[in-house]
Amino acid sequence: MDLVFSRLDDSVARFTIHGATPAFANALRRSMIGEVPTLAIEDIRIYDNTSVLFDEMLAHRLGLIPIKTDLSQYVPRSECSCGGEGCPHCTVMFTLSVEGPKMVTSGDLISMDENIVPVHNNIPIVKLWENQKVVLEAVAEVNYGKEHAKWQPTLACGYSEYPVITIKDTCDGCGKCVAECPRDVLELTKDTVSIRVVNGESKEKDCSLCRLCETACMDSGIGQDPAINISSDSTKFIFVVESDGSLPVKEIIERALLHIKSRSSDLIEALQEGL
Amino acid sequence: MVAYKCARCKQLVEIGTNIRCPYCGHRILFKARGAGTKELKAR
Repeated sequence: MDLVFSRLDDSVARFTIHGATPAFANALRRSMIGEVPTLAIEDIRIYDNTSVLFDEMLAHRLGLIPIKTDLSQYVPRSECSCGGEGCPHCTVMFTLSVEGPKMVTSGDLISMDENIVPVHNNIPIVKLWENQKVVLEAVAEVNYGKEHAKWQPTLACGYSEYPVITIKDTCDGCGKCVAECPRDVLELTKDTVSIRVVNGESKEKDCSLCRLCETACMDSGIGQDPAINISSDSTKFIFVVESDGSLPVKEIIERALLHIKSRSSDLIEALQEGL
Repeated sequence: MVAYKCARCKQLVEIGTNIRCPYCGHRILFKARGAGTKELKAR
């Protein structure tokens, strides 16, 4: 199995996996979404809230704020040596004490650990008018996306099968498929339709498999069989993974793959014990 | 007994058979926030 990255930075990764099965691709996707732990606010103690939002709405909004996570220092609460009671290895305390008039943002949350802070400081929580205030304590804990979406480290995370574009000899070079393509994948040069190449890289992988080119070819009166054929390779997958900023994308992919590996090892051990 | 606060005169009132402030007669009452802390899950 090969992994080729076309883009990799802290927030977005775009890569192609060669020689995999659809089952493996889906396992990787699900693992990245649900099996990589992050920090998110879970328990809230409200001392005062005279804002226009109910306590429950305020708590829900706080829970969805992405928080920078260092998994070398923090472990999931259910796996911590404290037995889930909550300790400095699995939880981080935040305080929020604000009086209006002011827009309360994620930057107003004061963390007990200076390395564990919200990813963005400008996420609005609630707008306070004069004489309104919010005073609360919030405890963030490490947990998994399968427990609640607020612990998902990813935003967009998905894959598509690699497109395969076949242009047959019966093509008359009318160019209707080129005009129809919404992704600008095809080009017409000297009455010949071909796949566009930009900076030495084929644009074939940009095809969304919409098959508008096939329809355009059929409409041109070529007959029953279109000269251009769109299919997909079910052993090659294009992944797009976006991080919410709590973890770098590379770490999300690595931890998801390690999770699949450890689950497979557990299964082998269980099988051997059973025999 | 749950305490309510009149929206006009801000007096604490108790609701009987009528939903009406006994001091000013206003009919809009707010449920007053309790003095203790409130613990809840961020879900």
